[in-house]
Amino acid sequence: MNDVPAVEVKNLVKDFKGAFRVKNVRAVKDVSLQIAPGEVYGLIGPNGSGKSTTMKAVLGLVAPTSGATSIFGRNSLKVDSRNEVGFLPENPYFYKHLTAAETVRFYGKLCGMRGRKLKERIGELLELVGLQDARDRRLRGFSKGMLQRIGLAQAMVQDPRLLVLDEPTAGVDPTGSRQIRDLILELKNRGITVFLCSHLLEQVQQVCDRVGIIHQGVLVNEGRLDELISVENRTEIILENASENLLDQIRSLVDVTHQAEVVSEGNARTTLEDLFLRETMSDAKRKAVSK
Amino acid sequence: MSRQASISFFSLRRILIVAQSTVTQLVRMKVFYFLAPIALLFVGIQFLDLIWYQGAETLQPEQELRMHKNICLGTMMVFSSMFGIVATALLIPGDIEDRTLYTILCKPVPRFDYLVGKLLGVMAVIFIAMVVMDVLLVATLHFRTEEKLAEATQVWGKRGLTEVEIAAGRAEIAAHGPTLILQYGVMAHFLKASVIAAVALLISTFSTSTIFTIATSSMIWIIGSFQSVAREALFTDPISGGDPNMAERIMNTFVSLVFPDFKLFESITDGAVRAENVLHSDMTQLGGLAAIYVGIYVVLSWFVFSDKEF
Repeated sequence: MNDVPAVEVKNLVKDFKGAFRVKNVRAVKDVSLQIAPGEVYGLIGPNGSGKSTTMKAVLGLVAPTSGATSIFGRNSLKVDSRNEVGFLPENPYFYKHLTAAETVRFYGKLCGMRGRKLKERIGELLELVGLQDARDRRLRGFSKGMLQRIGLAQAMVQDPRLLVLDEPTAGVDPTGSRQIRDLILELKNRGITVFLCSHLLEQVQQVCDRVGIIHQGVLVNEGRLDELISVENRTEIILENASENLLDQIRSLVDVTHQAEVVSEGNARTTLEDLFLRETMSDAKRKAVSK
Repeated sequence: MSRQASISFFSLRRILIVAQSTVTQLVRMKVFYFLAPIALLFVGIQFLDLIWYQGAETLQPEQELRMHKNICLGTMMVFSSMFGIVATALLIPGDIEDRTLYTILCKPVPRFDYLVGKLLGVMAVIFIAMVVMDVLLVATLHFRTEEKLAEATQVWGKRGLTEVEIAAGRAEIAAHGPTLILQYGVMAHFLKASVIAAVALLISTFSTSTIFTIATSSMIWIIGSFQSVAREALFTDPISGGDPNMAERIMNTFVSLVFPDFKLFESITDGAVRAENVLHSDMTQLGGLAAIYVGIYVVLSWFVFSDKEF
């Protein structure tokens, strides 16, 4: 069992110089968190709460004012730590003059890959993100969703153990968004650690094992998602094909005990995303997406 | 399985990957289209008969060839220097603005490798452009030299000059044709453009806008071209004309370190235009000087860039 956390943030403080360097702005205030290998961790918070700064500190793009960050036990500021990490920035813009395959090849080469192994990896990744038909198209003509997917492909090129995703579905339509969500779940099944920031709370809820809520630079709450969102004194039972008779029996049972009450009941609801997908996708495609 | 091998501070392979990508980027930005008007100019001046020679009593073909070289080398100098500034100024701020830099620096790529790779890429494109322009220059100059040799031989024959006199005159004209010295002139321009690109690289590491980088680099280019004249005027005792004192010497050294002395590069090109004898050792020294300048600016760039936050 590997005890080294995939990501460790210890008492991270980050100050930015204010106007005319007179007053510093403290973007992150003593944040500490740990992400275990294989975990999907979501950092959520409003704009300007310090999510991206924390993420950038983990990636070594900003240096902590105090505290430390590490990836698999290695100081984030050291280049060595980046062997194990893939990063997808928010709204990524890659070299527009390159094709999809050339983009993945470029990043692969930067990671020291070459030859047949790299060639095979490019094909594998483009298939994984659903861009095999666009492999020879230049990124100039790519939609936001396609750029996001090529961003994921480049992030995964060296088969990293940690993926850092900043708003992975920003600007992506619900279909693309679902594909990215499914991809994250697939990566989780493969044992890859995912650290993501998102405003889309529903999506975070669907994919994350643990969540941290950051507000004004302070990590105000953190824990396992199911523990954080469960309402302790309420229980949900979802029945399929329940007859009116059966429902009456349940209501009567609750009334008889006097120890509980039915707060609400009605038809279970689908999500708007599911409805959208059902209405806009063909059967075959829907199956492929939800596979 | 862990792959946490330590990353070397410097890797030629990684540098070449970044350089290759920069070349592809610039080529696909169609920068070589600028060579078309330059090619037209080079071919066009072939047909330019300088008006002040028309009524001259004696032909001065070497002056005409000198003018040909002057225009072509001047064009090459402006193109290579401006290209060195603009391309370098666009690339790194562009990568920061597009956040492409995030994805590159989040791979195991030391910042030094990235900077050197970008600079090498720009230098490679300048080199390719210079080779194309050089081939055009050599070709057009060759035809013009042959033409002038034929004209002069005919005129001198009619005047009854001896064969020895004609041969001497031909040698003088041929010295203004495509020679090794001319290649030294072209090489000096390439080295100068490389130094300017390194200056632009340094400025782009702390500048927040492309315009600022281009304007400041252009200013350094201009200052560098005139600094030796200015230093001579400022730091030489006007009365005795003697050696400068210690303070002046320090100031002199400081200015020459901060601003590269481009006059040194131009002296080789001027020699090539005038068909003077440029020594191989002069060229080697100039190459060494350019390498020192580029080295200093790259190290300074890395010093600024290594702690830069994005």
